[in-house]
Amino acid sequence: MSVLALLLAGPLQAWGASARFARRTTEHAPTKSGVIGLLAAAQGRERTADLADLAGLRFGVRVDQPGTRIRDYQTAKHFDTGKSMPVSERFYLADAVFVAAVEGDDTLIDDLHRAVQAPVYLPYLGRRSCPPARRVDIGVHRDQSLEQVLADQEWRAAGWYQRSRKRESTVPLTTFVDATPGDSRNDSVRDLPLSFDPLHRRYALRGVRTDTVDVPNPKARRSAPPDHNPTILLGGD
Amino acid sequence: MSRTILDLHVLQTVPPSNINRDDTGAPKTAIYGGVRRARVSSQAWKRATRLAFDSLLDPGELGTRTKRVAELLAERIRELDSSIEEREAWTLAAETVQTATGSKIEVPKRRADAAKKKGEGEPAPESAYLMFLSARQRDGLAELAVEGRADIKAFLKDKDNKKRAKEIADTRHSVDIALFGRMVADGADINVDAAAQVAHAISVHAVENESDYYTAVDDRNTDAEPGAGMIGTVEFNSATLYRYAALDVDLLRKNLGEGLRDDEPVTEPLRRAVEAFVRGFVESLPSGKLNTFGNNTLPDAVIVKLRTSRPISFVGAFEEPVMLGNGHLQEASGRLADYIPEVELAYGAEDGTDTWVLRIGRSTEKLSGLGTELSLPDLVSAVGAAVAQRPAPAK
Repeated sequence: MSVLALLLAGPLQAWGASARFARRTTEHAPTKSGVIGLLAAAQGRERTADLADLAGLRFGVRVDQPGTRIRDYQTAKHFDTGKSMPVSERFYLADAVFVAAVEGDDTLIDDLHRAVQAPVYLPYLGRRSCPPARRVDIGVHRDQSLEQVLADQEWRAAGWYQRSRKRESTVPLTTFVDATPGDSRNDSVRDLPLSFDPLHRRYALRGVRTDTVDVPNPKARRSAPPDHNPTILLGGD
Repeated sequence: MSRTILDLHVLQTVPPSNINRDDTGAPKTAIYGGVRRARVSSQAWKRATRLAFDSLLDPGELGTRTKRVAELLAERIRELDSSIEEREAWTLAAETVQTATGSKIEVPKRRADAAKKKGEGEPAPESAYLMFLSARQRDGLAELAVEGRADIKAFLKDKDNKKRAKEIADTRHSVDIALFGRMVADGADINVDAAAQVAHAISVHAVENESDYYTAVDDRNTDAEPGAGMIGTVEFNSATLYRYAALDVDLLRKNLGEGLRDDEPVTEPLRRAVEAFVRGFVESLPSGKLNTFGNNTLPDAVIVKLRTSRPISFVGAFEEPVMLGNGHLQEASGRLADYIPEVELAYGAEDGTDTWVLRIGRSTEKLSGLGTELSLPDLVSAVGAAVAQRPAPAK
């Protein structure tokens, strides 16, 4: 088994799980369907292609910088008649950074790794107008579990964000990982893609386990506060 | 696989303006690098680019997006054969489009009822969704419809004719559909994946929206009522924007198909489309509140890259917001000049990356070393020529 880690960072991202019609919402973290879509597009799969192997990958994501949700109000005018079309609301995550990872057998992971380095369809972060701002591919990890990779990856938040938390030498980061049988606490999200066929998109429910991992903050204040214990002077034990 | 990807990077300063506003009338914004930025949505700039195509390309190379496909096609059918009555042409058109796209074309009930009430004849059938038909697709379908005029239903039932109709709808996409895609919600087999990707433009620096309080005097005011005729506020901001777009040249080539005219090279449609895209994207400006603010500017710097593996956005250069210093433009140019080689070195500079630069004035001097410096017309034709020379990817 191998794990492919991906860095999802950009001014805007949008990861819809229950977005329908004129109200296009976003979740707080990348969805499995969104990331599988990114990988399938990188491989150049058509929308109607079989996804079973990709949907079968174990998926997890770590919130390195949560970002802010912004709302975009979108009007459209008919290009030829000039008539107004229904207005829509689009939500984006602005200024967010995530580490996403998929775990699966070596051949498939290597193939996906090559694909993200030279993608067939141009990559985007959930919505076409959201190109990634940094390199998406951050490497393949052999003989490690998804959980390990998410715990070991360095903190990928922006410099300003790391500085803003300089008082914390380690920061707790939330992870959302595919639930395994026996997980007692998990939520479910309808974001497991069965088909991206535009005529009949289908998603199944996916169990998600929420955890936190602690990662070091490289911008933490160097010198630890002096070892100062005023009660020592008072003697006693 | 050989691959050709074009990316475009633009620095453009706009004075007080409100190019793209939200439902409260305020200029759109986003947060990046922890601070608020001016934002112009990708959708707004794509529309401006498409509008610019009108003056850059022959209308025959563009598409029409409409529900009234039957009427549109019927016009062409009657041009081909003037003996066909309007109603018959509508039926021919509806049948042909229905076969070609799989979408229902029928008279909307509401319209039919309204016409009946007024004692008028049945109106033209429409599609349920906006359909995007290129001029070339329209011509092809019209020719087919005229050919099967005698008994259109039986004609289209024929397997070969059915296939021909589908093929016409599925190929020979005109330039703007090939670039920006098409939506036919229920004819998935003729959906076109857009070859261009346009990011939301954001300012390289922090921005707060400002509010302009105005009063307007009534010219016919009397002394008895000397107040203002009306008062109001307009929100605005000023920004130096980073604009980014990427173009999958290989997908564009596939969407457009090869040129069919004997007197020009097969790459001619591709070259013309790429040139129109570069020029249209660089020169266009969404027209929001343009007459109020007169913010007609052109970009101060343009960088165009032709790559072989994946597009790269340089927005990361501005994650840390630019401070005023010697002006946002100069600082932003410096950032790009440092950032671009750094990113390309870190991730392995690809062989065969071509870079062209257009820049104005002393503030953008630092960008001059990044590539071949040209004026816009020369840059556009240099990009077009380079694209036409690139090999098509192996199938």
